[in-house]
Amino acid sequence: MSDRSERTSRVSRASVRQHQELRQARYQSKASREILAALGRSAADPGDVLDTVVDEATRLCGAQAAQLFLLKGDMFRLSRVAGETPQEYRDYLEDHPIARNRSSTVGRSAEDRHTHQIRDVLEDPDYGRHDLQRLAGFRTLLSTPMILEDEVVGVLSMWRTDVKPFDDRERELLEEFAVEGAIVLRHVDLMRSLESRGAELASKVAQLEALRAVGEAVGSSLDLDEVLDRIVTNAVRLTETDGGSIMEYDESSDSFHVRAAFGSSPDLLKQLRAITIRRESTLVGRTALENQPLELCDLAEAELDPHLDILFRDGWRSVLAVPMLRGDKIVGVLVIRRRSTGTFPPEMRELLQTFATQSALAIVNARLFRELETKTKELEVASRHKSEFLASMSHELRTPLNAVIGFSEVLLDRLFGEINERQAEYLRDIWNSGRHLLDLLNDILDLSKVEAGQMLIEPSRFEVGSVLDWAMAMLRERATLHAITITVQVAADVGVIEADERKFKQVVLNLVSNAVKFTPDGGSVSITACREGTALDVTVTDTGIGVPPEDQERIFESFQQGGRGASKEEGTGLGLTLSRRIVTLMGGRMWLKSTPEVGSTFGFSIPGLPELGHEVASSRHGDLPVVVLVDDDRVSLDLICAYLDGSPIQALRAGDGVEGLELIRKVLPAAVVLDIKLPRLDGWHVLAELKADPVTVEIPVVIASVVDDQSQGMALGADVYLRKPVSRDQLLDALRSVGAL
Amino acid sequence: MTPRRILVVEDNPLNLKLVRDVLQFAGYDVVEAHSGEEGLRVAEEDPPDLVLMDLQLPGIDGTETLRRLRQGSLGRNVPVVAVTAFAMAEDRERASLAGFDGYIEKPISVRALPGQVDAFMSGRGQ
Repeated sequence: MSDRSERTSRVSRASVRQHQELRQARYQSKASREILAALGRSAADPGDVLDTVVDEATRLCGAQAAQLFLLKGDMFRLSRVAGETPQEYRDYLEDHPIARNRSSTVGRSAEDRHTHQIRDVLEDPDYGRHDLQRLAGFRTLLSTPMILEDEVVGVLSMWRTDVKPFDDRERELLEEFAVEGAIVLRHVDLMRSLESRGAELASKVAQLEALRAVGEAVGSSLDLDEVLDRIVTNAVRLTETDGGSIMEYDESSDSFHVRAAFGSSPDLLKQLRAITIRRESTLVGRTALENQPLELCDLAEAELDPHLDILFRDGWRSVLAVPMLRGDKIVGVLVIRRRSTGTFPPEMRELLQTFATQSALAIVNARLFRELETKTKELEVASRHKSEFLASMSHELRTPLNAVIGFSEVLLDRLFGEINERQAEYLRDIWNSGRHLLDLLNDILDLSKVEAGQMLIEPSRFEVGSVLDWAMAMLRERATLHAITITVQVAADVGVIEADERKFKQVVLNLVSNAVKFTPDGGSVSITACREGTALDVTVTDTGIGVPPEDQERIFESFQQGGRGASKEEGTGLGLTLSRRIVTLMGGRMWLKSTPEVGSTFGFSIPGLPELGHEVASSRHGDLPVVVLVDDDRVSLDLICAYLDGSPIQALRAGDGVEGLELIRKVLPAAVVLDIKLPRLDGWHVLAELKADPVTVEIPVVIASVVDDQSQGMALGADVYLRKPVSRDQLLDALRSVGAL
Repeated sequence: MTPRRILVVEDNPLNLKLVRDVLQFAGYDVVEAHSGEEGLRVAEEDPPDLVLMDLQLPGIDGTETLRRLRQGSLGRNVPVVAVTAFAMAEDRERASLAGFDGYIEKPISVRALPGQVDAFMSGRGQ
């Protein structure tokens, strides 16, 4: 029985102990749960959790008091307390924190990084904080380190005022609380760094926003004062100061003046504007000279220059001046001020330097812009003067030329009596010089029109071969005089082009006339036209004196005849310049290939040929009899050309009476096909002129017109009178009847 | 048949003389005017058969003179021809838009002028 009862009591003792342990474990886990739950809520205040930690430690470990010490610098300072801790002790600890050494359990546990217990502090010879013991009266001490990322960050400590060591379970419990406390501390740490990062980020964002606004203002075409206002406003707001100003440097007076301000009363501004801030012996000046931010943290203590004096009187107490430089040049100084005393932190200086750079940029940009604007206006005025001058000069000079050319013509034509051969020769010289001057004036006017963008391109469709033949015809007389042969070769796939005919003629005539001019007697000039895709390539090759390589680009410049014997031959010196400009205007280009003493090839390429397969086949057959067609209606001309296609005839075209007459006199064709209603000079007069001139009287004339006046036509000497519309057979018959076919 | 009268309005005395002499030689009766105002007065007193008018005149210019001529006694029946120093297409167009019956380019050709003038006179109604 006793055995049984003994066993029973043993069992029951064990069961009681087990029961107690279980309860302890429950407490413990409940405490942990509470701590962790508090941790979960701790977003608001993690300090609550630490309070929970020390509270639970005191309660669960049967201690009189528990403390949390945190390492600050190299000392442990009291952070949290629970249980019975006298106020005196707490106050005393403030001034006498615990060192990290062996004089306390706190120091020992931190040094050894594990838990330390002193059974009775009064009996520990190494214990050194009897000052604390006297205030709190503890005897048994237990401390355990809180370790975060391998670093001791704090110590959790508890005491009993009687000598009763903490057992292993209590020790383990404290260690667990230390771990939990460490977690909380890490959390707090994270929170704190997050918060500061957040604040840093927010301030960075604000800075970036401000800088963006400033950058935008600098980049925009805003008025400079507005840009600087924005800069100084943003600078003051961002640095949370009270006011600021931008002082612009004026080189001519070697001083600074207020350009923009923020947080400044009208009265202050008025005063600041009234003074001259010299570069010497002022804060603003020194900042610029030394190229570094300078600050005065208490104006009451500082030596005041006139500028600072005004600020001080207006109630300002601290000032930071930041230089605004562009390269090495002083542009100005940004001044930020506060109504309170105090220094300006380095980050603020850095930020303000960015603002200062932006301000400098804005000011420099504005100055450049202003300069550019002035220059542009001056140039515009100059260019307008030039155009007006050219236009009026051209008119003023042409008017007297009209008389020079006209009266010499009157005399040369012996309108009012006979003249002798010498007189006629001199009159021809006068007439030639007048014409030359007129050409020069026309070229100058054309060039100035091209330069002013006033030369318009008027495209039409015309046959390339006809124009080349026309150019050849215009120069035949001169070429024959110098025994120069001119040939024209047009590729079979080059027919009609869409381009400005008048200007095309001008360019071709210029090149061919140059070639004839610079080719020695007995030489040759060949004109070719070929296709390059839908572009037309025209070349004029001579056997002339050539152009040295060094002059080949210069020759296209005004008044350059590039050592091509300019003294012998006269020209305006503007022809090639003008031709190249016209070709460029037509969307093409002009070039030169030349070998001195061998010859030159001037070429140009212009767009406007139809796609292959769409073009009108060329009707040219080398050196055939020429028929001049005079008609202002392009469709009629095209039709007649089409009729003549395949016949052994070269057709040359003229668009009005004057041009027709000129062409006929030059080429002396085998026949003329003449319209009556013509611009400038009508068909009747062309006919009359032809028949009145012994040189042209024999040239047969076929009239093709809607005008029905055969009797007048025949009376004036026309050979055939056709009424439009004219059929192909009618035309061919007519040309046959006059012997042109 | 009395010779046909041509009114020449031209401010440059030499050019005026040239045109006058050439036209007189060709058998025309030439009346001179050195400005638009004078041209208007002469045309009012003794209406010509044709007017040759410089475009750039002192005082009222050629275009304005033409407008007043048309409103006055000259009416629409007498051809008025512009004499212009500008050989550009836009100037020709401007002249024709302004209501001139035609134009003669400067420098005038002594040989072509009588024919040109004759064409403008007989060309009416064609």
